[in-house]
Amino acid sequence: MSTRPIAQESTRPRTIHLFVRGAAGATAALVLTSCATLSSGDGERDNVPEDVSTTITDEPVELTLAYTDDPPSIELVEGFTDQHPNVDIELQQTPFTDYVKTVTLSMSSDDPPDMAQYNPGAMRSLIPSGHVMDLEPYVEAYGWEESFPEASLEPLRADEDATRFGTGSLYAVPGALSMLGVFYNRELLAEAGVDEPPATFDEFEDALAAVDEEGIAPFSVGGLEVGGFQVWNALLNTFGDDQAYRDWVHGAPDSTIETDGARTATEALTRWVEAGYVPEDANATSDDDAKAAFANGESAFLVTGNWAAFELEEALGEDAGFFLLPGEDPDQVPMTSGSSVSYTVSSATEHPDVAAAFLDYLSSPEAAQIQLDTGFMPVDTDVSTGEGGVLEEINSVYGTAAEQDGIVPFPDFSTPGMIDQLTPGVQGLIAGSTDEETFLSDLQAEWDRVHG
Amino acid sequence: MASGALLRGNGAAGAGRPGGRPSRAPGRSRLRAWLYLLPALTVYAGFAIYSAGSTVWFSFLDWDGVQPPTWAGLANYTRVLTEPLLAEAILNGLILIVFFSLIPIAIGLLLTGLLLGRVRTGMTFFRTVFFLPQVLPLVAVGITWRWLYSDAGMVNQALEAVGLGAITRAWLGDYHFALIALGLIGTWCMSGLCMVLFMSGAQRIDPSLNEAAAIDGAGPLRRFRYVTLPGLRREVGIAAVITTIAALASFDLVFVTTNGGPAGQTNVPALLVYRLAFNEGTIGGAAALAVVLTLIVIVLVSAIRLLTREPK
Repeated sequence: MSTRPIAQESTRPRTIHLFVRGAAGATAALVLTSCATLSSGDGERDNVPEDVSTTITDEPVELTLAYTDDPPSIELVEGFTDQHPNVDIELQQTPFTDYVKTVTLSMSSDDPPDMAQYNPGAMRSLIPSGHVMDLEPYVEAYGWEESFPEASLEPLRADEDATRFGTGSLYAVPGALSMLGVFYNRELLAEAGVDEPPATFDEFEDALAAVDEEGIAPFSVGGLEVGGFQVWNALLNTFGDDQAYRDWVHGAPDSTIETDGARTATEALTRWVEAGYVPEDANATSDDDAKAAFANGESAFLVTGNWAAFELEEALGEDAGFFLLPGEDPDQVPMTSGSSVSYTVSSATEHPDVAAAFLDYLSSPEAAQIQLDTGFMPVDTDVSTGEGGVLEEINSVYGTAAEQDGIVPFPDFSTPGMIDQLTPGVQGLIAGSTDEETFLSDLQAEWDRVHG
Repeated sequence: MASGALLRGNGAAGAGRPGGRPSRAPGRSRLRAWLYLLPALTVYAGFAIYSAGSTVWFSFLDWDGVQPPTWAGLANYTRVLTEPLLAEAILNGLILIVFFSLIPIAIGLLLTGLLLGRVRTGMTFFRTVFFLPQVLPLVAVGITWRWLYSDAGMVNQALEAVGLGAITRAWLGDYHFALIALGLIGTWCMSGLCMVLFMSGAQRIDPSLNEAAAIDGAGPLRRFRYVTLPGLRREVGIAAVITTIAALASFDLVFVTTNGGPAGQTNVPALLVYRLAFNEGTIGGAAALAVVLTLIVIVLVSAIRLLTREPK
């Protein structure tokens, strides 16, 4: 869980997730054992392709793609095979709760899929063992640095040991983008006398107070799952120093989260808890329940990502709005956590050029339309929905942020176990049982354990 | 287990041969016994013994599941035993024993005492109703209880109806009450199991014992105390073992309802095993924790068996 682009956490119906999780848990002991057959990899493997080409064969080619997120995977594959009828891509889906484990085992097996959806947790093992292709030759051949937004490529780079991310060779390219932000209910804000979305952080807190005074719940928060730390996440993006934060997530030596910016962000969260802006039952509320409450008009704000946009627009229509949590200075560069559904290539594939052609297709205008239609932000940010509403609003917000280098990774990418510090940590802040300093030092202790 | 069955098999083969016919060579008979045992033995060895053995082996390795493992010695155990999180999780597991084991056994005995000898018709109905929680998948149970316990759920509605509106809260999200709320779900699940075990045990008790006690002037309470309860010693022992293991190894219920939250208040050892293995990718650490958990279960179960042993 820790390593999933949080963005896609909520795109599938909850019940399926839960059943799968239960099953995964019940068989946990058994699975531990089944790993035994895989005593060791093949050791060093050459994972840099030679003689790369941007033209692909006309002969029939069969590829396999292991993935978990749908949409957009099926639609993107169909879009590509429509353009190249000689290519047949077989899809192998694994539910997310099992994906990290499954993709790790299948990509390191003797008969790996040709391509697999990227997952940072799995990459920590697959990159050092050489099972994932180093895409640098294709970056040059296709000019991907031009066609993909840099912010979306950065988290997909890693050094050879995969201890540091955000630097080194490229191991995947994004097929659809997502981003964290604040949804608001125009009608409820208007009732409280707030006519414009806030432009500064102070204005935002004024809006919270005004809404609260009207007897409207300011926030819905899914503190049982990731919703709690996403509120903190948005505050951290606003107050933290972005380079220091990037370094921390990517595992640069001597990085720390115990910064003044992070303290300010954490204090703002506890201030909201004390003021009663964060609902008392937040720690027992799932992400879906929080989203449903906001969609029913029970609260004024919801901190989540574009993945909720379709449902919220359906429920609230014109009343749904979206902005990035503003900074203290109205001219501050908008900063937010973003992620992507990305795809890697196996270093054992027999058709690296065809796989690379699929990756290149992801940045095309045709793919962009598919990405938009499936509820994501397109890799080619010039494409517009042309439909207005909150989807277009989100798309333009992303474009502005991406242009100013304002997209940073999610904090749970920093270590595989970080989500197990973040979720309980923020629950402690909400319950009032953890103070700000302890919360941050616990996060840093987890970081030090892995990167120190 | 296997060798016990084998011995019994041999004994039966010998005893079934009266009349002085020369019995076959013991070697062949033994071979045949092994042949009968083979299917069960293969499954047991493959899925239980081998798995347990390799978990112990993994616990001495530093391994992410993909790259070649390296020998870690006792490092995994050091980490597991010095981790304050683990001590808390084990303590939570022990607290859950109260709710998964002690209370359900008490409720099971109470129901047995109430139903026994009084209900002549509809016994199957009662048994089915009380046993139903055992049949439902724990994941479904967990989701249902999450709704019941929620801010606007039935538990709070009931409290408000009886004038206790002041204490309503989202129980599973409450820092102090989450573990108790979780434990009570276990109580609901396990009570029926205990009752069914005790009912079947109580029906086995010789009715003449009860009649004799009644003639001697013992009331229902005394008969329960001096006839039924001693007769249920073995069933109580079994119920205690099953429910204690369920408490210490609980995973699915916790995973679905609180996932260890809020702020780690409902962490249980099995949840940490899962996180270590599948979130952090430290198979060795997860295996070491699983071994420690198994040892704790063995110690507690042995203690229970010792306490509930029939006096000689």
